[in-house]
Amino acid sequence: MLFSEVYSAYFNAIAAIITDTLEGEINEKRIVRIIRDRAFSESVLSIIPSLKNGDWLIMDKNFNTPIKNKPSMPLTILQKRWLKALLLDPRIRLFDICVSGLEHVEPLFTPDDFVYFDRYLDGDPFTDESYILHFRTILKAFYEQRRLNIEYRNRHNKSVNGRFIPYRLEYSSKDDKFRLETAGGRYAAYINLSRIKSCTLAENYEGERLIIPKRQEALVQFTLKNERNALERVMLHFSDCRKETRRLDDDTYDVKLTYEALDETEILIRILSFGPMLKVTGPEHFIGLIRERIRMQLALSGTIKI
Amino acid sequence: MAYNELIKDVSRIRDYLREFFVYGFKSREQVGTKSTRSYDNEKRRIESWLSDYMSFRQDANQKTVFLILDSRHIAHNPFYTAWKAASFTKNDINLHFILLDILADKNPRSLTELIESIDNDYMAFFDCPDEIDVSTLRKKLKEYTEIGLINRIQEGKQHLYLLPDNEIPLDLWKDAVTFFSEGNPLGVIGSFILDKYKEPPLPIFSFKHQYFLFALDDGILLDLLSSIHDKKQVELETATDHRRRHRKIIAVPLKIYISTQGGRQYVAAYVSSKKRIQFIRIDAINKVKPLDTCCEFAFYQDMLKDDMPHVWGVSPAFHEPSHIEMTLNIDPKDAHIINRLKREKRSGNISQISETEWKFSADVYDPGEMIPWLRTFIGRICSLKCTDRRTQQLFWEDFDTLNKMYGGNENAL
Repeated sequence: MLFSEVYSAYFNAIAAIITDTLEGEINEKRIVRIIRDRAFSESVLSIIPSLKNGDWLIMDKNFNTPIKNKPSMPLTILQKRWLKALLLDPRIRLFDICVSGLEHVEPLFTPDDFVYFDRYLDGDPFTDESYILHFRTILKAFYEQRRLNIEYRNRHNKSVNGRFIPYRLEYSSKDDKFRLETAGGRYAAYINLSRIKSCTLAENYEGERLIIPKRQEALVQFTLKNERNALERVMLHFSDCRKETRRLDDDTYDVKLTYEALDETEILIRILSFGPMLKVTGPEHFIGLIRERIRMQLALSGTIKI
Repeated sequence: MAYNELIKDVSRIRDYLREFFVYGFKSREQVGTKSTRSYDNEKRRIESWLSDYMSFRQDANQKTVFLILDSRHIAHNPFYTAWKAASFTKNDINLHFILLDILADKNPRSLTELIESIDNDYMAFFDCPDEIDVSTLRKKLKEYTEIGLINRIQEGKQHLYLLPDNEIPLDLWKDAVTFFSEGNPLGVIGSFILDKYKEPPLPIFSFKHQYFLFALDDGILLDLLSSIHDKKQVELETATDHRRRHRKIIAVPLKIYISTQGGRQYVAAYVSSKKRIQFIRIDAINKVKPLDTCCEFAFYQDMLKDDMPHVWGVSPAFHEPSHIEMTLNIDPKDAHIINRLKREKRSGNISQISETEWKFSADVYDPGEMIPWLRTFIGRICSLKCTDRRTQQLFWEDFDTLNKMYGGNENAL
């Protein structure tokens, strides 16, 4: 069962409170902090009274507890089955894991249970030995706070060398690809992992002085006409992005969508895919991009037969 | 009933989270739920869970609540919170920590020994505590045995209880669990495992094109996967018409179809009353009730397998596939467009017909499903032909409308 109190934020918070109590580090201030970290913003209002009034036989009002061992919950069958299912995923080879303890466990699902019907077909080679090596070197760089010497092919297929600080490994389910986001430059720079030719560890960097790469954001505004269930389709389609929607009248909506400037062409294509259901109202530059596509299409119209 | 930030099930909060996150323009009256009090309670609950992402807007005559989330900037799916808010009784929490503590020494104990230990070592610590009776303890042991938190062994005529050996070296799994808890179906289970680590994982991974909303359907997804693996027929309770109307469907779930671009998940299932395969939105399913084992499961799986090459999205086989051909104008320097065709085509063929012309052709059951993708090539389409004339006509009518919307010449096409 997925929905159970054994996985709840309250049980996690109580386990952490008991652990700190047994380590002799508990007081009300500390309890409040644990609850804020592990549970929800209003949880303090219910957990502390329940602990103090003896409702829960976990500790008394002076924060003494009859519990003798630090709470350690075994993995449930559900959790073990989920881990076993990961072993069937080709991406698991990217990680240096140990499979012991799962020998007699049934996987919760198999890759064959799923069809990602609109996923791109040129996903990364997750089982390629060089790819795995590069991935693990990058992971190591994160833990050891090391720079990376990377040689890769850029999008013009030119070989590029550089020394980079790894910031994030970004995965896209649509592309089925990893990209390394690097730090140190003014704006975020990305390297597709499948384009890396070599990757080695270099010198350490000071984590505290790391300049977080800034993603240059852009905004597009459009009017949505709710025909052919466009409202639901557009809202769900763009629910991976930051957006704000206002109703203008019964079937017209105004949407402001924020995206990373580097993704402009992708956003343009995504908006175009909705055809006349969406009308970009700003900025002018973006409207110009749509007009240009229409102009190019009209230029080809002489050959079109309807 | 007094407000409580914990919940008995996720179904109601699932609807509210969807309203606040996906739409985010509806006022309290427009959300269309049972009562304003219910709205206020759910809003307060979501505020308590997701205060960092909650926003409000006051327009002329209404206040709107919405959630602002950008999946690329958030390392952990905030909607997993809903799965970590299960309510419980005081016996649940008391027995959970007491039983784990008694059994921590790995020695097996009988029911009688457990109740004695509870009385002597824990109850005695408090002034006048409410007693835990044997039947409550027995019920909890049964529950924990079923979910694998406690093992039960037989010794002579009695059952003994002990904690299972935890042979899985979780420390070595931390990166994998961190990644798959976001980048995989049922990632919430990975999130439960991450909660076990004393230190939070390093912020290594981020995710693009991630649909947080899928997390709210994980309970239904788990039930569907169980029935697929057990080859069972199920009764699906679905909601339609903005969740106002409910209906029941007897079906045999076969596979899960996930859209990585549309934010939707479906179950492909053989629907007995229709005598064919249908794709049912998972977010529209409220309940999955397992029925008998289905003897024809393998036959239906094969049926789906046969259909798959001609299913572009999630439209099943109603009739013979339609043939569609699109010719694109691609300058040799624009090789990335050819790459786009190659990686984005889900079926069909691509061929070069001249130095600057490439043809894509496919046979699909519902060419209408292809229209959004075809539109992404606007600006390069030399010809579009489809044996289903309505699709062809709709495409160009839409383009004509688009042209007019942006101030184009009405007679351009």
